Amino acid sequence: MNYPFWDIPILGSGWVIGIIAIFHVMISQFAVGGGLYLPLAERKAMRMPAGPLRDAWLTQLAVYSKFFLILTAVFGTVSGVGIWFAIGLTHPEATSTLIHNFVFGWAMEWVFFIVELTTIAVYYSTWGKIDPKLHLKVGWVYAGASAFTLIIINGILTFMLTPGDTWLAVAGTGQEASKFWYAFFNPTYWPSLFMRTCVCCALAGIWALITASRIDGDKQPELKTSLVKWSVKWLVPSFVATPFILIWYLWMVPASQRALLTLGIGTIGSGTFSVVTRIALLIIITSATIVGVAYFLAYRNPRDFNLSHAIAILLLALIATGAGEYSREMLRKPYVIGGWMFSNGVRVPYVARINQEGYLAHSNWVWNGPILNERLVTPGMTTLNDPTFSYSRGEAIFRGECGSCHTLNGYRPLGKLLAGRDQANIRSFITMLHDYKPDSPYRRFMPPMVGTKQDIDDLANFLNTQVNPLAPAAQKPMQTAQK
Amino acid sequence: MTSKTVASSVYDWVDERLGLSELAAFARHKTVPVHSQSFWYYWGGISLFLFIVQCFTGVLLLVYYQPGADAYESVRQITFVMNFGWLIRSAHAWAASLMIFSILVHMFSVYFMKAYRKPRELGWLSGMALLGVASVFGFSGYLLPMDELSYFATKVGLQIPSAIPGIGEAIANMLRGGPDVSDFTVHRFFALHVVVLPAIFVPLLGFHLWLVQRYGNAAPPSEEAKPASERKTMPFLPNFLRKDLAMWLIALNILALLASVFPWSLGKPFDPLAPAPVGIHPEWYFMSPFEMLKLLGVVLQGEAGEIAGILLFTLGIVLWILIPFYDRGKEFGQRARAAHYFGLLAVFALLATTIIGYWTIR
Repeated sequence: MNYPFWDIPILGSGWVIGIIAIFHVMISQFAVGGGLYLPLAERKAMRMPAGPLRDAWLTQLAVYSKFFLILTAVFGTVSGVGIWFAIGLTHPEATSTLIHNFVFGWAMEWVFFIVELTTIAVYYSTWGKIDPKLHLKVGWVYAGASAFTLIIINGILTFMLTPGDTWLAVAGTGQEASKFWYAFFNPTYWPSLFMRTCVCCALAGIWALITASRIDGDKQPELKTSLVKWSVKWLVPSFVATPFILIWYLWMVPASQRALLTLGIGTIGSGTFSVVTRIALLIIITSATIVGVAYFLAYRNPRDFNLSHAIAILLLALIATGAGEYSREMLRKPYVIGGWMFSNGVRVPYVARINQEGYLAHSNWVWNGPILNERLVTPGMTTLNDPTFSYSRGEAIFRGECGSCHTLNGYRPLGKLLAGRDQANIRSFITMLHDYKPDSPYRRFMPPMVGTKQDIDDLANFLNTQVNPLAPAAQKPMQTAQK
Repeated sequence: MTSKTVASSVYDWVDERLGLSELAAFARHKTVPVHSQSFWYYWGGISLFLFIVQCFTGVLLLVYYQPGADAYESVRQITFVMNFGWLIRSAHAWAASLMIFSILVHMFSVYFMKAYRKPRELGWLSGMALLGVASVFGFSGYLLPMDELSYFATKVGLQIPSAIPGIGEAIANMLRGGPDVSDFTVHRFFALHVVVLPAIFVPLLGFHLWLVQRYGNAAPPSEEAKPASERKTMPFLPNFLRKDLAMWLIALNILALLASVFPWSLGKPFDPLAPAPVGIHPEWYFMSPFEMLKLLGVVLQGEAGEIAGILLFTLGIVLWILIPFYDRGKEFGQRARAAHYFGLLAVFALLATTIIGYWTIR
């Protein structure tokens, strides 16, 4: 517990990352897919016989590239930085591990970002001003640079699910960076790259439908029909290939993680454990629907295709993207970095040490010293058995060990999940999480509770005060995070 | 013989006996008006789709559900033991809510487009009857799991029929199979839910759809006022049907989203001796009538007041149902305006009482 904790009530800090990330993925994957769409569409237009349709296509592509520039270069960039802020605050330990391993990965990515941002600005501003062949080349440079941003970030994202045995063998030795390429080209790298590429193409088509839907079908029927139909075709690779790639991807995920997916087939459980199954179902149904809706509304009725139809498809894509990213995150449980770091930031090999020394032993964020307020001191009292300090320590442990996944009264609320239990019962539940026996059902998706017996008591005391506010042991917080 | 000729000879054989070409010719000529309000035309279709979903999921639930003393246990098994049982049950329950919602949207869009006018009066009346039957479907289905919430909500809900002066208590007793909600009630509601109501609903729905085919979609008065040359239409087959199917797919996704993210859970088994849990309230679509009766009871005190309240409430519904016979003219005259304001009042009352109802849950 080396870092202070970012406490987001109700929503939980994980969802702050989630909301920014889903928004970012919708745009950044469009930036990659659109990078391919623009030069291919321009090439297609340039090969058309000279005439009004060819001119209309090029004019429309110039309009599209403005939309593309603003959306990707402004919102994509801002939300990307937003993810950095959010993960740094929510998972400081995990972010630290990523930076220590992949600092050169990100350096490479940023080089491509700069090329990407520069070329898209040049591409947009030079329509009709430079030789068309050169303009097309600028488009291809953009496509290449944006593809490389995906190629790099994909290595880092997949590393978190499956770091691979080679990297795990050196993890914690200080030699991690020497296995950079093993960590980068980890077991799920290739299926994930293919899957994301398919999604990028689909998103390029979907976003292109937004601008195409605004063409007046009565005034420019030929342009609208050809552009809408061509854009819908961008959904096809994703529709055909994704099921197979998904199977490949899941094949590469450790069996213990894969088992999480089947938890919800037979039961909704208490609603939380099986959520990954339920959300994963949405990916399948929504992805299939997008193609169906795009076929009926756009491909077969291109002239009547309007903005609200396009937005309906976009919203379906948002559901599919959200469901996909959520499932991928959930599949990592109980780890944030597979096999190495639990989802609450505790490194796997540190568990025994923390169990011996106590969770707060090295923490700067909770009071461990003598009782400063003399009025509180009663004969025989030490810092450890003072109920007010126990509460404060319990709160700090809650923030550190539970807070990255749970809130008290909002998302995955411990107040509700522990309702009906008294202090002894809460304590025995925490003890079960602490003992982490091989047959414990919670092992599948929850990290162990680490710490000493005193830590268990402190956490139980704090949680009991929250769950049973009228319980006699209830103590109000006095000194949290002071030094 | 190629597969094409096989298909065409099969078609000819069926066509000769059923007259499919006539139907196809009729369908080819059918058009749907295109204007700024066309969006509302999809809601009837969405309601139909959600009904089909409920037939399908309902039959699957029927395979495992046991009315009577084992009702709760069988629903518990469906929800927590059977593979994807929770999904079927959640889809069934969510589709019910969504269907009532889309019927209400459909009803108000028909109302404000004045699509109940001659010759579509029977379409309006049959639609109102369908809404009535659908809400009884909802009410009877809600009890079937026999958990704490459904038990007490049914108890509260039966206060509506029992408030009818004179015969109310008798009707409520007949529905309950006694003075209290019990296993007998489950049997009765089950019979109602899976036999009686479908037997009424399906032919009524057929009649309603036949009327829609016969008279087509009504254009709103603002469109009718335009000269024929300015009005746009699209063929029903295939253009409108394709869009309809796309809407069905979107509705399916919303249903899947709700059923997956918010699966219908199951409370504790009911205990008639236990006190009602906190926050018992009827389903959202009964909240408004429930709250209206409650408010009228506050305004009009005493037994006479209660009867007056019921009469006032009934009068409002009767006026609503009989609107086609009041607002008949083609022009947007005084009566049409009065009907329009009555509609706005109804929307306001429905929303306001629902909000008050949820606001004041004990």
